[in-house]
Amino acid sequence: MTGGPGAAGTATGAGAAVGAAGGPVGGAPRGASVDDEPLLRVRGLRKHFPIRRGVLRGLVGQVRAVDDVSFDLRRGETLSLVGESGCGKTTTARCILRALAPTAGEIRFRRADGSTVDLATLPKRRLRPLRREMQMIFQDPYSSLNPRKTLLEIVGEPLRVHGVGGRKERVDRVAALLRMVGLRPEYLRRFPHAFSGGQRQRIGIARALALSPSLVVADEPVSALDVSVQAQILNLMLDLQAELGLTYLFVAHDLSVVKHVSDRVAVMYVGRIVEVAGTEPLFRAPRHPYTEALLSAVPKPDPRLRSQRIVLEGDVADPGSPPPGCYFHPRCRYAIPACRAEAPRLDAIAPGHWVACHRARELTLRGVDA
Amino acid sequence: MTGALVTAAPGAEAAAAVPILAVRDLRTYFFADEGTVRAVDGASFELRDQATLGIVGESGCGKSVTARSILRIVERPGRIVSGQILLRRAVAGAPAEGRSGPGAAVVDLVRLDAGSREMRQIRGGDIGLVFQEPMTSFSPVHTVGNQMVETIRLHLGLGRAAARARAIDLLHQVGVPRPERRVDEYAFQLSGGLRQRAMIATALACGPRILIADEPTTALDVTTQAQILDLLRQLQAREGMAIMLITHNLGVVAEMCDEVVVMYLGRVVERGPVDAIFHAPRHPYTQALLRSIPSIHAPVRTKLPTVAGSIPHPHNRPAGCPFHPRCAHWIRGTCERHEPVLQPVDGAAGQQVACFLHHPPAGAGTPAAAAAGAAR
Repeated sequence: MTGGPGAAGTATGAGAAVGAAGGPVGGAPRGASVDDEPLLRVRGLRKHFPIRRGVLRGLVGQVRAVDDVSFDLRRGETLSLVGESGCGKTTTARCILRALAPTAGEIRFRRADGSTVDLATLPKRRLRPLRREMQMIFQDPYSSLNPRKTLLEIVGEPLRVHGVGGRKERVDRVAALLRMVGLRPEYLRRFPHAFSGGQRQRIGIARALALSPSLVVADEPVSALDVSVQAQILNLMLDLQAELGLTYLFVAHDLSVVKHVSDRVAVMYVGRIVEVAGTEPLFRAPRHPYTEALLSAVPKPDPRLRSQRIVLEGDVADPGSPPPGCYFHPRCRYAIPACRAEAPRLDAIAPGHWVACHRARELTLRGVDA
Repeated sequence: MTGALVTAAPGAEAAAAVPILAVRDLRTYFFADEGTVRAVDGASFELRDQATLGIVGESGCGKSVTARSILRIVERPGRIVSGQILLRRAVAGAPAEGRSGPGAAVVDLVRLDAGSREMRQIRGGDIGLVFQEPMTSFSPVHTVGNQMVETIRLHLGLGRAAARARAIDLLHQVGVPRPERRVDEYAFQLSGGLRQRAMIATALACGPRILIADEPTTALDVTTQAQILDLLRQLQAREGMAIMLITHNLGVVAEMCDEVVVMYLGRVVERGPVDAIFHAPRHPYTQALLRSIPSIHAPVRTKLPTVAGSIPHPHNRPAGCPFHPRCAHWIRGTCERHEPVLQPVDGAAGQQVACFLHHPPAGAGTPAAAAAGAAR
């Protein structure tokens, strides 16, 4: 741990506090059924990667890609993980899907049958039935579809792997899925190269929905698409969520996109969540200086709004050797000596609004207007 | 037009109004077995002294091929088929094609040999270039400094030590911390932001009067993007360069540019001052594009207006106006048969649009009809 055992204790304490207070759940989610138990409850999640050097591949350090992350994801809501490259948002998502084995922490997932499992510690062989309930939409619609398979094979593959239905039923199901994502069912026998980027992303979404999952993790699903096509895919995702009651964990760096899809947003910096809140309060009145800087850095598509941007100095901290105290303090214009000395805990500052900043209660930060 | 180019009066105000680069009806085609791709198909625009011109459009619109055409680095099977690229050079008495005025000469880059000495001087000398991905633009086996030194020695004829000193100075100017150490590092040792700064420093090495930046911040994080955009602005104010900024990001355009060119499938569909493009766009494509951008100012969880369909494959380019199959306002019998050309928008200084809604096709086109079309 950065600051010795003392700091480690503080960090774990923060995780425990979050758990005791019922977790960083937002305000009442939009229209979703009120279910006390979240679909996903993440507590103290850590993923460390070893740094090895030399001929003997000796361990010389660790990259704390995800460093004590806790959040809840309610059934039917969209929570976005945002932050810049290396902040750990994708690693967090991959740990939840168990594409990576977490170093520590708990990922409690509520199954369709009402039972709860800890994905963090579940043995690999017991993960397979769970794959039906959580699926992923990938960033790059070009590399994520096998060019040698037809749409029927691509979208039908999850059904085949999980032994759902016979051949005839699978064809019908795939046709229905294609229709659902706005593609013509006649395309069944075609190959991905015949489709544009936006259409390919629709194919990827159809594949993700084939097994009727409850949780869909979307990692930058529109960042590789052209602007005029992005809007189509975002709208489709909103429609499908309303229709099927999907829960989205949305990983993105584009805050404008995030605002269009999210109920709540968690901002990450160097492996930690620095702020979680409902989308509207987070954008209108951010409480963490890093969130403020992120919002201010987004170029606004209006030449009359050429504003005074907050330009952060320096680069994002190296998660292999982060600075002491608050990881953001070297770039923070509000930093005080305490920020260097001690890592702030993620605390509730308002109902559903959690911030990890020593000065969160005294600062008035600038957000963006609706 | 060419006449206006060469009557460059000394005096800053006049100079600011005179284009330093004028592209006239440029066509760059790619001749492949499957057919000809008209990547750039009749693009015309001007870059003014010390101004920033944005070239925007989505994939396949020809914005990057336009930049490569200007630098004459279009790769085979592509080549410039016709058009002019008129560069005003400040060199007095240099051998140049075209006419020359006092202290300035206009060169048509299309007529130069891509490998000629003059073109090599222009590339990197008159015109600096910044690419999207600084990782792949730098050689992985040479230090950043050595690559800069090579450029500086080639263009300025300095000795090794002097060139190295200049490289360190340039890195310092673009805000690279501890430049005397960074100069000996390799590209992979630098962060994305520092690599892009080093790339900009290399582009500035010879004091170019034009900087072409092709998606300079697309690979960067948003806070790093803000740093690089700030840097470009500062450098422009200090060095007085003209910047041609190629991007798909309309937010970056709104923040940076004085004028904007909107391209779709190889054609300029609209151009004008930045405020007009964002607040009074005339082309249905520009309007649709602006409506469909996710906005940070939008209410939470709102659906976006969309542009129907997707960008056609370059081999299936629609006849007539390339946008008509996706256009909500297309005129049957006109838009699929005729290709609209850029024409001035009435009552909007400097704004031009290529659309039959504003300018009915020749034959039907009287000035009165054109005015009625624009007013619609």
